[in-house]
Amino acid sequence: MRAGEVHALVGHNGSGKSTLIKVLAGYHAPDPGATVYLDGHEVTFDELAHGRHGSDTRINFVHQDLGLVLELNTIDNLALHGGFARTRFGRVHWREQRRRARQLMAPFDRTFDVTQLLSKVTPVERTIVAVAGALQGWITGHGVLVLDEPTAVLPPKEVGRLFEIVRGLRARGAGILYVSHRLDEVFELADRVTVLRNGRRVITSDVDGMTKQQLVEHMLGDEAKAHYRADLSAASGRPVELEVRGLAGRYLRGASFTVHQGEVLGVAGLPADGRDELPRLITDAARSALAGWVRMPAVSDRWVDVRSGNGDGVVLLPPDRAREGIISPMSVGENLSLSSLGAFSSLGRLVRGKERRFVRQWVSRMTVTATGPDAPITTLSGGNQQKVLFGRVLAIEPRVLVLCEPTAGVDIGARQAIYELVAAQVRSGLSVVVASSDVSDLEALCTRVIVLRDGVVTDELAGDELTEYHLLHAMEGGRDFAEALT
Amino acid sequence: MTAIVDLDAGAEVTADELQQPPLGDRLRSALSVQKISGIYVLLAMIVLFSIWVPETFLSWDTARQILNNNAVGAMAALALIVPLAAGVFDISVPYVMTLSGVWCSWVVVNTELPLGLAIVIAMLVAVGVGIVNGIVVVAFKIDSLIGTLATGFLVQALVKWRTGSKVVTSDELAGGFSRIARNQFLELTLPVFYALAIATVIWYLLEHTATGRRIYATGFNRDATRLAGVRTARIQFGALVFSATLAGFAGIVLASQLGSGLSTAGDSYLLGAFAAVFLGATQLKNGRFNAWGTMIGIVLLGTGTTGLGLANQPQWVQDVFRGVVLIASLALTGLQVRKAGASSMRSWLRRGSSAEVPAPDGSTAAASTSPPIHRKETV
Repeated sequence: MRAGEVHALVGHNGSGKSTLIKVLAGYHAPDPGATVYLDGHEVTFDELAHGRHGSDTRINFVHQDLGLVLELNTIDNLALHGGFARTRFGRVHWREQRRRARQLMAPFDRTFDVTQLLSKVTPVERTIVAVAGALQGWITGHGVLVLDEPTAVLPPKEVGRLFEIVRGLRARGAGILYVSHRLDEVFELADRVTVLRNGRRVITSDVDGMTKQQLVEHMLGDEAKAHYRADLSAASGRPVELEVRGLAGRYLRGASFTVHQGEVLGVAGLPADGRDELPRLITDAARSALAGWVRMPAVSDRWVDVRSGNGDGVVLLPPDRAREGIISPMSVGENLSLSSLGAFSSLGRLVRGKERRFVRQWVSRMTVTATGPDAPITTLSGGNQQKVLFGRVLAIEPRVLVLCEPTAGVDIGARQAIYELVAAQVRSGLSVVVASSDVSDLEALCTRVIVLRDGVVTDELAGDELTEYHLLHAMEGGRDFAEALT
Repeated sequence: MTAIVDLDAGAEVTADELQQPPLGDRLRSALSVQKISGIYVLLAMIVLFSIWVPETFLSWDTARQILNNNAVGAMAALALIVPLAAGVFDISVPYVMTLSGVWCSWVVVNTELPLGLAIVIAMLVAVGVGIVNGIVVVAFKIDSLIGTLATGFLVQALVKWRTGSKVVTSDELAGGFSRIARNQFLELTLPVFYALAIATVIWYLLEHTATGRRIYATGFNRDATRLAGVRTARIQFGALVFSATLAGFAGIVLASQLGSGLSTAGDSYLLGAFAAVFLGATQLKNGRFNAWGTMIGIVLLGTGTTGLGLANQPQWVQDVFRGVVLIASLALTGLQVRKAGASSMRSWLRRGSSAEVPAPDGSTAAASTSPPIHRKETV
């Protein structure tokens, strides 16, 4: 890292970007043999992370979740990082504190109201507060600021403002390590770029003179990986199972698409494009839709407003397994049968024998490895917990199953087992929508993928186009580019 | 990573493993200290008091006294189980007890209506409070602890309005009304049997019905349960109506026992009832609020306080005893739970953080709200 440069760090999921940053931040200890130099002097990672290296040069981090307390205002949030000014009597010196906060914010926004609660300000303003907080204590204005995917959850119109701020910092002599998923941003903002792949640095190069093609090739590498592909045929000729029109919410701005019977439709894009929002809006798991209509021709010709519920048959497998999936104090069996309890009841009584048979059947169908149906769900590995949740939703025989991050926190072997489970259901007629940040999920499962960008469907890939390579490009908005490649 | 193991071992869950474990194992597990530590503590206390106050403690009269004196407290505690299992507090239970007791005795004293109708009226008032609780907690989405605290105040207001803060009492209450609580069967007063009957109903509901399973799931993780297709709002609403109904009945029994409608009758049951239910959740089904565990809790606390009374200990020692038992039992199960990985207590503590999906923060992108192109309305 040089002083006064924006240095982009790019790489695939699992290439080691996050790990690198966590090592720099002192969250992980590096293996022996690693060295780090600051201002030409060797320092230890521990000294670096805790600022005990005797140099004025700082390294500070703005993590993706920003680390702010939204219920407090800017003054308080800055003071939580930098300490409170006290009067002689130990009371917080609010006037001085306010002055300091204004001073810290001044380089970015002179008119910013530091007394506003952060829950009331826009996401980009929060990011600015986090940056200001990270920069306080920089005496000389020199140092390294690490921005970890700062635009991942920013609405597109606010990204430009963040860029101006980053450029301003560069002009003041700071080095900015900028981690991003979006290659456009690299070309727009960065001076140099480092590509990581499989935990190794592939290249560090000036951005000038580099093309997007070259960058993507560096990210993917030239080894032709034997990717798993589910054995599924295209389903575009079959009847439509679900039609969605004009879906709008916090990020989505009118997305429309159809899902055919026995099809696996992928949804690609970034969170800010509406990728994570889409599954919730069409399954009614969050009533935050602003607009949108759904129709299931096989059930009824009627268009249903998503704000009033979407009817039955479209079921979500939520992304956050621990928070929204498993009932952690319950057993494997209880977790499996939760959605199907009505089927084992007669006159209100839960017939245990029926439930046990059901659980036994689904445990073996889903190839769950557990010591038994009474084992606490928390004793299972992530992959097995996910299989239990799959069993839970498949047992109610949905018409459309909506998967969100289906393999998050699932190890590689279990991943394939999950892909095969889904494929088997699809072959018997289930329609599936998969939204995933992991492009390999989409490549492995989908017969067709829609690409979201800025809240609308901008692209659709199917057949031979459905490779990790093309998907990444399409997410970058480079349709022209994808065509140039073929 | 254990990727490969995972796949290969997948199909090896044999039918045997899915069968019930052998009887010996089940018996050993049922009698394990972890499951029924309360019973062992109870036995130890009986031995202790037998040695300490041998002339009075070890007698049928003492046993009767313990059961009779704690029956209404048991009913109050049982009323709390279902809402707690469903993840909501109902602080208003003791005040609803007061309310129904006062109403029932007021109707008996001041009107010519038959006793049965007086009971029905009092119960309806209690159910009404339950519905209000449900609306406040489920529809208004007010935290149940605060919401039922607030309705508790409103209930007290209703009590004071009805009674004018005076005791409702008259000779009429010595008749049929007093028999509700004072009649005896097998030398025990009827409330003991009411409590046993209610415990049986709750046990059946929570253990042997689909609704019971859904109640527990809602209490453990409401978001996940809702996404699994369970109508969690309805469950919590129903739980609050259920607790108010039981509290209403307990209040009538209490008024009958006291022989008057006292505007503070229920107040003293608040802490004891919660103590017994939380103690009960450490028994039998660790981490789940359950009926028989609660009964163990009631008897355990009742035996201790009665024994201390017989040993001529001052009143404050009884409170020390209650506090220590509660902390000790929860601390011990807390340790077990941390090993096991989960419990309802923990989900209580986590509740704050498991809020719903974050609300839009004003950054909502301008929505193009184009309706569907071919919109067909077939109503």
